[in-house]
Amino acid sequence: MSAVLELEGVRTRLAGQWLHDGVSFSVNKGEVVALIGASGSGKTVLLRECVGLLRPDGGTIKLLGQDLLRLSPQGLNQVRRRFGMLFQEGALFSSLTVAENVAAPLREHTDLPARLRDQVVALDIRLAGLPPDAAGKRPAELSGGMKKRAALARALALQPEMLLLDEPTSGLDPISAREFDRLLRTLCDSLGLTALLTTHDLDTLWGMVDRVVVLHGGKVIAEGPVAEVAKVDQPWIQSYFSVRRQSKGTLDGI
Amino acid sequence: MTMTDRRPFTLEPTEAGGVVRLAGEWRLADLVELDRVLAGAVWPKGRLTVDGAALTGLDSAGVMLLYRRLQAAGVPWSRVDLTGFDADCLPLVELVADRLAALGPPPPPQFGWLARLGRRVSSALGALPNWLYFLGQVSAALLESLRLPTGFRARETVVQLEAVGLRAVPIVALMTFLIGVVFAYLLGIQIKKYGANIFIVDGVSMAMARELSPLLVAILMAGRSGAAFTAQIGAMKVTEEIDAITTLGLSPMQVLVLPRLIAIIVAMPLLTFFGDLVGIAGSAVVAASQLDITLVTFVNRLKDVLPLDMVVYGLYKAPVFAAAIALIACRNGFAVSRDARSVGERTTSTVVTSLVAVILINALFAILHTEST
Repeated sequence: MSAVLELEGVRTRLAGQWLHDGVSFSVNKGEVVALIGASGSGKTVLLRECVGLLRPDGGTIKLLGQDLLRLSPQGLNQVRRRFGMLFQEGALFSSLTVAENVAAPLREHTDLPARLRDQVVALDIRLAGLPPDAAGKRPAELSGGMKKRAALARALALQPEMLLLDEPTSGLDPISAREFDRLLRTLCDSLGLTALLTTHDLDTLWGMVDRVVVLHGGKVIAEGPVAEVAKVDQPWIQSYFSVRRQSKGTLDGI
Repeated sequence: MTMTDRRPFTLEPTEAGGVVRLAGEWRLADLVELDRVLAGAVWPKGRLTVDGAALTGLDSAGVMLLYRRLQAAGVPWSRVDLTGFDADCLPLVELVADRLAALGPPPPPQFGWLARLGRRVSSALGALPNWLYFLGQVSAALLESLRLPTGFRARETVVQLEAVGLRAVPIVALMTFLIGVVFAYLLGIQIKKYGANIFIVDGVSMAMARELSPLLVAILMAGRSGAAFTAQIGAMKVTEEIDAITTLGLSPMQVLVLPRLIAIIVAMPLLTFFGDLVGIAGSAVVAASQLDITLVTFVNRLKDVLPLDMVVYGLYKAPVFAAAIALIACRNGFAVSRDARSVGERTTSTVVTSLVAVILINALFAILHTEST
């Protein structure tokens, strides 16, 4: 198994404090890995560093075989065409329709004629699970779940090898969230995608993720399949996973 | 490598139908080339077997293209058998085929310029009721404030008065002074030829008080305060602050529109009068230096030739301009939709519309005024 994303001793200083103090983990091809941690533990910052939006103060980040910190701006843009990023709020271009949003990367990076481009856009919109009539709508007219799907369609447009998702199910109702999880799992399995996501959603962890990386106090304190990580004897991990156990307990009437 | 090796697919007729052997890369980057080659293919009747054993790369766009081409040639996917695909690729092909099968009819065709024209006209007419609704809301808020003066936002109004009036003083002074100088200078060149130097006072003061100062200040306000109103209210609309105001039980009209409307209506006549003074001062400087008219002579002549009602005429135009600018600007602010481009579009629209409105109102005043005298 080859690593698609490798972090080695990543250190980030933010507002005079070490947010990441030697973070190392890797994501292998075809895996879906979740990055968890308390709010403010630097998950989103780490994700942004992985795609070259922010620069860490130390360590190395290798994405798709390229050392991001040593790449020239052109080289970085080359790598950027090979992965898709899904931002927390979708970050759709608000003045374009959904179809135009999905077409934007194709328009910029390929020389497809309009007819073929429209066909690819229609496919991506369908793959993301949107109804065809959503194509002509503006982001402001979409619900939260539809926005995420539209953003996913845009992220898929350039046939990425990897997806990075920042809290893909936040702000969705539980039913939409589970549907989105299923969609993501199907896409990753069928399209052979590798995915790294940050999440607070325990159902996502238990339902669709291959491996969990726990970020706490600027370091990776646990890593592995969710069932193993949940057993790790560490106060934060225990309280994190016990929230679910408690609520499940009351639901089952135990 | 021979030519046949590089062909992305080969077609062999069989008894049952045919076998299509895919080869090489079938990816987004190769789509244009694949599309060209596929366009020339003649597909056999009956069942079609698609063999993916020789593929080196496949993505959803490649599958989509094959699916669409076969569909267009009258070979439905139900008549296609898959064979030889990698275990990795098979789910991809199945997913894409499944999703494409569920794809509805193609989107309605785009219409020509006539349809666009019609849509624009109907949307412009459609905005008319919104305008009336807005005017009604502002009037209602105004009446409510008169009935219950405690609901009036004095503090907000003073803040706006400072932004709209006080902070505009330097730019108004600069503009009217320079226009006064230029106007007096150009008029002076002509007047000198007839030895009628003293009439510079008549020309400049009347032009300034009656037309130049009210118009200059109105144009300045439209660009400066009108644009600011639209951008402020529009940004609040985007961030849902206006909805927050409403849910707090406050009226956006009272909180946002009335203070701005009243501030600009109060500030504009003051600025116009200030503009009158500075503009005439500018021409007095030119008169003294170029036309040998001392300041004392200038002021004495001014008292004789500038009737008060002409100054007042200029001043009572100002609040009307102000009201037009404020209403257009606030209405455009509320009309901002929740996307990035909208704020810019609406701000531009505010400046253009309010300039046109100011010029039209000015023309209306000119007609009414000459008819009444």
